Amino acid sequence: MGKLMRLEKLDLPEEPVLCSGHAACPGCIDALSARHVLSALGPDAVAVIPPSCMAIIAGAQPMSALRIPVYQPSLESSAAAASGLRRALDARGKQETHVVVLAGDGGTYDIGLQCLSSAAERNENILYVCFDNEGYMNTGAQKSSSTPHFARTGSTPAGKSSRKKNLIEIMAAHEIPYAATATAGFLPDLARKVEKAKALRGMRLLVLLVPCLDGWGVPEDQGIKVARLAVESGVFPLYEVEDGYRYTLNTAQKTRPVRDYLLAQRRYRNLEEHEIEALQREVDIGWARLQHRTQAELKTID
Amino acid sequence: MNAGAKRVLLTGNHAVAWGARLSRPKVIPVYPITPQTPVLELLTEFHAAGELDAEMLTPESEHSVMAACIPASLTGVRVFTATASQGLMLMHELLHYASGARAPIVMANVNRTIASPWAFWPDQTDSLAQRDTGWIQLYVESAQEALDSVIQAFRIAERVFLPVMINLDAFYVSHALEPVELPAQALIDAYLPPYAPQHFIDPERGESWGNVVSQDLYCRHRQDIGAAMDRVPAIAAQADQEWQRATGRGWGVIERYRCEDAELVIASLGSMCGTAREAVDALRADGHAAGLVKVRLFRPLPLAALRTALGGVRDVLVLDRNFSPGAGGVLHQELRAALYGMPSPPRVHGLLAGVGGVNVPPQKIVDLALAARNREPAAEPVWAN
Amino acid sequence: MNSITLTPPIWTTGTTESLKTGTWRAALPVYQEPPSPCHLACPVEGRIAQWMQQALARDWHGAWLTLTDNNPFPAIVGRVCHHPCESACNRGAYDAPLAICALERYVGDRALAQGWHHEPAPVARKARIAIVGGGPSGLSAAYQLRRRGYAVTIFEAQPKLGGLLRDGIPPYRLPREVLDGEIARLLDLGIEVRTGVALETAAEFERLRAGFDALYLAMGARRQKRLAQLDYAAPWVMDSAAYLAQANAGAPPALGARLAVIGGGSAAIDVARSARRAGCEVSLLALEREAQMPAQREEVVQAKEEGVALLDGALLRTAVRTAGGVALECVRVIFEPGPLQGEFRVTPIAGSEFTLAADAVVPAIGQDPDLAAVQSLARAAGALLWTDASGATGSDGVFAGGDVASTARFVTHAIGMGRRAALAIDRRLQARSAASEDARQALPPAAIHASLDSINTYYYPHAARTERAHLEPAERLRGHAEVQLGLEMEPALAEAARCFSCGRCISCDNCYYYCPDMAIRRVAGGYAVAGDYCKGCGLCVQECPTGSIAMREERK
Repeated sequence: MGKLMRLEKLDLPEEPVLCSGHAACPGCIDALSARHVLSALGPDAVAVIPPSCMAIIAGAQPMSALRIPVYQPSLESSAAAASGLRRALDARGKQETHVVVLAGDGGTYDIGLQCLSSAAERNENILYVCFDNEGYMNTGAQKSSSTPHFARTGSTPAGKSSRKKNLIEIMAAHEIPYAATATAGFLPDLARKVEKAKALRGMRLLVLLVPCLDGWGVPEDQGIKVARLAVESGVFPLYEVEDGYRYTLNTAQKTRPVRDYLLAQRRYRNLEEHEIEALQREVDIGWARLQHRTQAELKTID
Repeated sequence: MNAGAKRVLLTGNHAVAWGARLSRPKVIPVYPITPQTPVLELLTEFHAAGELDAEMLTPESEHSVMAACIPASLTGVRVFTATASQGLMLMHELLHYASGARAPIVMANVNRTIASPWAFWPDQTDSLAQRDTGWIQLYVESAQEALDSVIQAFRIAERVFLPVMINLDAFYVSHALEPVELPAQALIDAYLPPYAPQHFIDPERGESWGNVVSQDLYCRHRQDIGAAMDRVPAIAAQADQEWQRATGRGWGVIERYRCEDAELVIASLGSMCGTAREAVDALRADGHAAGLVKVRLFRPLPLAALRTALGGVRDVLVLDRNFSPGAGGVLHQELRAALYGMPSPPRVHGLLAGVGGVNVPPQKIVDLALAARNREPAAEPVWAN
Repeated sequence: MNSITLTPPIWTTGTTESLKTGTWRAALPVYQEPPSPCHLACPVEGRIAQWMQQALARDWHGAWLTLTDNNPFPAIVGRVCHHPCESACNRGAYDAPLAICALERYVGDRALAQGWHHEPAPVARKARIAIVGGGPSGLSAAYQLRRRGYAVTIFEAQPKLGGLLRDGIPPYRLPREVLDGEIARLLDLGIEVRTGVALETAAEFERLRAGFDALYLAMGARRQKRLAQLDYAAPWVMDSAAYLAQANAGAPPALGARLAVIGGGSAAIDVARSARRAGCEVSLLALEREAQMPAQREEVVQAKEEGVALLDGALLRTAVRTAGGVALECVRVIFEPGPLQGEFRVTPIAGSEFTLAADAVVPAIGQDPDLAAVQSLARAAGALLWTDASGATGSDGVFAGGDVASTARFVTHAIGMGRRAALAIDRRLQARSAASEDARQALPPAAIHASLDSINTYYYPHAARTERAHLEPAERLRGHAEVQLGLEMEPALAEAARCFSCGRCISCDNCYYYCPDMAIRRVAGGYAVAGDYCKGCGLCVQECPTGSIAMREERK
C-alpha cells in the first residue's frame, strides 16, 4: 500500500487535546478520530462542534473534553459559525489560531451544506472536518444523504434506495485549496492530511469515514478493521484534491471485493446477491473515475 | 452642536451605517435585503475605503449571518449586522441562540411586511414576532434616533450580555433623508469603550461555550437571562442620559409627548409616532387634553415607566402597525397586560392602523382618538382602515 | 453607573478527566506475554521473537546475546538445525514460515566475523563438574555451567572437541572454521578440556563420579547398528561413522568408484554426498520412499542434485562378492512406519527384485550408545540411559543427555538437553527446587501460547519467505565448499520484518494510539491501562499486532 505501509512504529502528534472521561461509546471511532485530528492540529485552535455525537463527546456543562475552546452552533450553521469565529480571531490579531469544525455528516452533507458551500466560495480560512458515520447516528441511526446505497437505517428499514452524496466532488467543484478523505483506520495518513491542511490557508475539508459501532452493527473492537475494509475494498478511497483539480489517490489499487466490507456490518444484513453486485459495480465505476481524474491531472501537468 | 460633530443629510439606513461605523465593530456579517440594502452598501463602502476596521463577510443567507455573529461576539469582539423582514424571519432560530449565548450583538432591522404574499411596505410584525427571542428591542422614529440608538445599543448590550435589535420602519425611516448630526469619533470612543468581556473564546483561556446542560442548569440560565432583562430599562435609561449629557440628545426608554394632564394618550412604536405627534398637536390645538407615549424600548417593556406615564389617563389609544392574527395588535396586548391590575386603569383601545404599510395621515389619528373617547374598548381586534 | 458584569453559567470550567468513565466497562485489557509457538517448539527454548526484534532493529549484538543465552552455537545451529520452530511458526498458516534458521545463521556468522566474545564468568563456586563427551550436548552443558560460575572439565575420547558435529557432519554442511570458531569462543570462558581421554570402564566412571560434584554423561551414540545381511568384516564394507570421520578429516576412504550407501537418514546422505565429492558414483538405497526418509528434505534434494542415485523403497537382501565388485541383491518394498519412532513394517513387492553393482557398501542405518561402562552409575531404558525431563538419571549428581539418552538425534535437541541438565545440576548443587527457577526459564503449559488468531495480520502484508541460496551442484562437487549460502543483510532484515513477534510486545504504540479514551499510558518498559478511563472496548487488543494484550472480564 505504498505510503500506507503497515507495521511501522506509529509516530503521531501527541498534543493531548482530547481528554479522557468523555462520553463516547466504548470503541468509538468518532472519539478516536477526533483525538488524532486535534492532536495534529495542536493547542492553538478553536473548535466548532454542531449537534452530533461529537457534541456529546465534547462534554456536558461545565466539563469539556477538549482542552481547546469549543463553540457549539446550531446543526445547520457550522461553516457560517466557523467563519464568524475566524473573522473575530483575525480581528483580534490571532490569524495563526486554527478554526476547526468537527461536524457529522448530517450537519455537513444535509442541513449544513448551504453554509458550507458559501464558506467554501468565500474561501474562509477554516479546516472543516466531517466525521462521516453515514447517517444520523446520534439520534439513533436514521439515513442522511451520506448514507450509502442499500444500507439499512431507522428511516430506511428496507435499505436506502439512492446512493451516497459525493461531498468531496462537491467541494472540489468549489476549487477549495484542499479536500481529502481519511480514516482512523490509516492513522499516519490521517495525521499527515491534518498536518498538510494545517499548513494551508483557506477552506480545507477532510471527510473522515467513521464506522459507527451501533449504527452500522459492528462489534466494539472492530471499528478500525471495518474502516480498513472500506478503504481496501475501494468503498471509501483515500484521496486528495488540491485546488479542485489536482487529484492524488493514496492507494494504488483496491485489494478486496466490496463483499468483504459489507459482511462485516449488520446494516447490510440480508443483502441480495444482485445488490452486492450492484454495489461492486458502483465502487468499480467510482474507482475508475478517480483514476481517470488522477491521470487527467498528470497529463495536464505534463 | 458638540465639538467635532458634523451635520449631514442622511437616510435612516445611512444613519444606521454611520452609527455602526462610529461604534467600531470588529466583525460585520451581513446579507442584502430590501429595504436594508443601503446599510450594507454604505458599510462595505466604508470598509473598502479603509474607514472601517472590521472583518466584513457576506454569507449566503441571513441565517448564516446570525450564525457567524454569535461566535464572533463570543470571541470577544463587537459585532454588528442589519436585516429586514424575511431575513429576520430566517434568523429566527438563531435569535434565540444569540441571546442564549449571551452575545451582545447589535442588529438593525428595517421593519417590512413579511410574506406571503410578497410586499415591501413598512410593517412591524417581523420584529414583534421576535419578542420572545431574548433580544432587547428598540424602535426608532428618525434617522438621528437610529444613529444614536445603534451606539447606545452596544452600551446596553455589553452591560447585560444580551443582543439588541434596533427597529426602523421601511422607507418612512430607512429611506427618508433627514439632517443628522454625526458625533465626533472621540465622543463615541469615550462613551463606548472597547468591548472587553470577562469570558471569551480563546485558546489561551480554553473555555468552551454551548455544552449540553442539565435541567437545572438550563433553568438557571433562563433565570439569568430574565434577571439581565430586568436590569435593561434602568441601564438603557442611564445609557440614554449619558448620551444626552454628551450630545445634548436624549430619547428616553419611552418618550412622553405633551402628556401633562392628558386624558387621552396615543401609544405607538417607530415612525407612527411622528404622525401621532402631529395629531396630538392638532388635538391640543382644538382644546383636547391629548398626548403621545412613544414606546422606544419595547423589550423589555419598561413597566414602571409605562405605568407612571399612563396611570390616571382615561383613554389610551394604541396604534399597531403590525398584526398578530387571532390576537390583534402586539403593542395593544402588551400594554393591556402591562397596565392590568393598576388602580383605576386607563381604557386601552387597540387599533390596527397602517398594517401592510397602509397610509395613516394625522387627521385619521385625530378622528380615531376622538371616536375612542366615546367608546368602550373592544375585546376583539379593530381595524382602523 | 457601576459596571456589573454577569457571569453566564454557560462557560465550561474544567475537563471531563474528572469523570471516571472506567466504571462503564465489563472487561479490562491486560498485557501478557504468552510464549510464541516457535519458542515452544525450539529445543533450546530460544526466545526467537525477542532476538528477531533485536535483529530487525539492527541490534545484531543484542540478538546474538539473546541467542547465546540458550545456545552457544548460533552459527552451527543456523546451518544444521532441523528447525521445528519453522514448522510451528504462526506465519506458516498465513503465507510461509519465517526463515528462522537462516536468520540465526546470519546472526551467528556476524558474531564470528566480528569476533564477539561471551561475557567472562569467574569461577565463583566450589563445586566442580565433569562432562563426559565434548559433542554438542556436553559443550552446551559446559557452557551453561561455566557461565553460572562452576569449574567444568570436559572428557573427550577423540582428539578434538565437537563430537558428531565434527565426525558426523561434513564440512560442506558445517565449515570447520565455523565449528572451531564457536567451540574456541566457548572454551575462552575457561573450561578444562581433556581430549583423547576415553573412559572405557566402570571403574573409571566411578572414580570420575567420586572426584567431581556432578557428572554429565553425553558420550553420544557411537556403536553402529548392523545389517544382518552384510559381512562387516569384508573389506568392501565400511560403516558410515568410520567413513564420515575420515572423509570429514579430509581423507575419504578409497573404496572404489562405485559406492552403495544404505540408509535414509542424515548420516546416509552425508556419506553419499561426501562420496560424490570424492568422485564416486553413488547409489543410495533407502527402505523408505523418498518422502518418508528421516533425513531433512533439503538434504535429499541436494543429494539428488549432486548426482546421488536414489533407490528409495528398496531393501538389500544379500551382498555378494563378484568378479567386478559387489552385487547387491535388492527388492522394492512398501514401507509403513509403526506407531513408535524406529518401528516400521516392510512388505516386498513381488517381482521387483533387482541387482545393484558396486565396489563397496557403506551402511548407515543408525547408532546406539554404548552403555556398558556406565551401568553402575545410571540405569538403562532400552538402548538408552533413563533420565527425567531435566536429565537426571536418578543417581545423585549424575545427569545424562544427548544421544546417550535420546533417540531424537538432532543437534539442537542435544544442545537443549545439555542446557536443561546444566540448569538441573545448578539447582541440585544449590539445593534449589525447580519451582523456584526463574519465571523466564519456566515454560508455561504448551496449550497457552500466542495463536494465529491473536495476531492482527493486517499489519503483516503477505510477503514471500526469503529462501537461502545454494551453490550450483557442479560447483559443489568441485570440493568441500559450503553448499548452503548465508543471507545478505538486507534480505535478512526483510525476513526479520516478517516475524509476527507472537506474544511479544514490540512497543509499536498501537494500543496507545488506537485508544479512543486515552486510557493507555506509556510507562517504563511498556504500557499500562488507566482503569479510571478504560471503557473496555478491546480496540487495543484488536489492534495489537502481536497478541500481547487480552481482555479479562471484571466482576464488580
